[in-house]
Amino acid sequence: MKTIGILLTAVSAVILFGMAQTASAETLRVGTECTYAPFNYRDENGQLQGYDIDVGNEVGKRIGAEIEWVCQKWDGMIPSLLANKFDLIAASMSITDKRLKSVDFSAPYRVSIGQFIGAKDKKLNLFKADGSVNTAGFSGVRIGLERSTTYEEWIKAKVPSADIAYYDSNEAMYLDLKAGRVDAIMTNPMKAFLRFLSKPDGAGFEVIGPQIAEQEYFGIGVGIALRKDNDALKARISDAIVAMGKDGTLEKFSLKIFPFTIHPLD
Amino acid sequence: MSFDIALIIESVPKMLVGVGITLQLLFLSTLFGTLLAIVTLLMRIGPFRWLRWPAIAYIYFFRGTPMLVQIFVIYYGLAQFEFVRDSFLWPALRVPFWCAIIAFSLNVGAYTAEILRGAVQGVEKGLLEAGSALGLTARQRFIHITTPIAVRLSLPAYGNEIISLMKSTALASTITIFDTMGVARTIMAQTFKPYEVFISAAIIYLVIVWFIQMGIALAERRFGRYMKR
Repeated sequence: MKTIGILLTAVSAVILFGMAQTASAETLRVGTECTYAPFNYRDENGQLQGYDIDVGNEVGKRIGAEIEWVCQKWDGMIPSLLANKFDLIAASMSITDKRLKSVDFSAPYRVSIGQFIGAKDKKLNLFKADGSVNTAGFSGVRIGLERSTTYEEWIKAKVPSADIAYYDSNEAMYLDLKAGRVDAIMTNPMKAFLRFLSKPDGAGFEVIGPQIAEQEYFGIGVGIALRKDNDALKARISDAIVAMGKDGTLEKFSLKIFPFTIHPLD
Repeated sequence: MSFDIALIIESVPKMLVGVGITLQLLFLSTLFGTLLAIVTLLMRIGPFRWLRWPAIAYIYFFRGTPMLVQIFVIYYGLAQFEFVRDSFLWPALRVPFWCAIIAFSLNVGAYTAEILRGAVQGVEKGLLEAGSALGLTARQRFIHITTPIAVRLSLPAYGNEIISLMKSTALASTITIFDTMGVARTIMAQTFKPYEVFISAAIIYLVIVWFIQMGIALAERRFGRYMKR
């Protein structure tokens, strides 16, 4: 079995290499937010950085395509893909059934989780001791989240009575949390840690309750989205991502940012 | 991608929730903005230089900066300061709705002040001379001759300003307000069908504008009585 596996890998490598040669002129435009640190953002020199960017560039290298990044606001991301403004989305987009109705996804390159963040001195009781949702604790609590994210679907299903404020960016959400316009926000804890909790502005705030990763809402993780009926391209990208997971490339990209890994382990 | 007419029919009623907020934003901002414009006008054309300069500076600032910048300065900018958050203004500034009202009113105030100034200065000199000949004081001339005619003269431009404000209220959706545009953007983000959803929003705005136009036309007829025979 093992030899066959190695043989297959070798063969596919040859095929991929061959494709890389023939398709050297291929350019893939990739949509991303450019404001979603640490996954996709511009550093102080204006260079795109982050996990999505590293993965996208590496995938491009492995399938032999030139990657051209396009910045796009989150709520117009899928419409822009469908309107052919770009060919792929690498923007920390979770794979969900709803999105699969409009677009296809590659294999996941990151796990998806959400968590609440609030002021330490507010003593919010959003969760019971066993980690389950405490609906009563949400009354009178204004929750901030980004429009049309998996967090919105989760909270609407779990706490239909929740008082929600919708934001277009995470930075705006942190500002309003700090200003006291919202009592808690639901967001990605990795990012919130790096951009808010670990900064002076985030002093006085903490994560509330457990990390939430219910597959029903958060899906199997984050993948690269592409228009439907692109199965050949989808397979090439997925193969590249799976290979990157196996050879430690994704782990290397995770550890550039976090003290822990964020890619799917299987 | 196919065109989904059912989604338009489905979206319009959902947006009616947002229409209420849009109309509130429109009505309150027009009211406060117009009051502010009258005060600014009197400062601007009055005899005191120390009142004139603040009015000119205010008009210059609010006409010279994009409305979105003003909204962000008021909503995010002010909230950054501890003393603002501790002040008596915070209960109002904390609420996105009132931040939008403040920004829109200040904007309408600046533009309308200039519209009114143009109208006041457009009142025919002969009429005022006739007023003096009849022995009216400057104050009486302003109240009984200048004001009614200036109101009529300012109406077309003022109607423009209200329509322009109505469309600008869509900017409120950027500070978490659930107005017509806020609802539209949320539906769009859930269905990924911007064309149908924004067409629905456009239809709603067109209906509102139609009513505003009717109102202005009625007012023009009423305040234009003096020109009829």
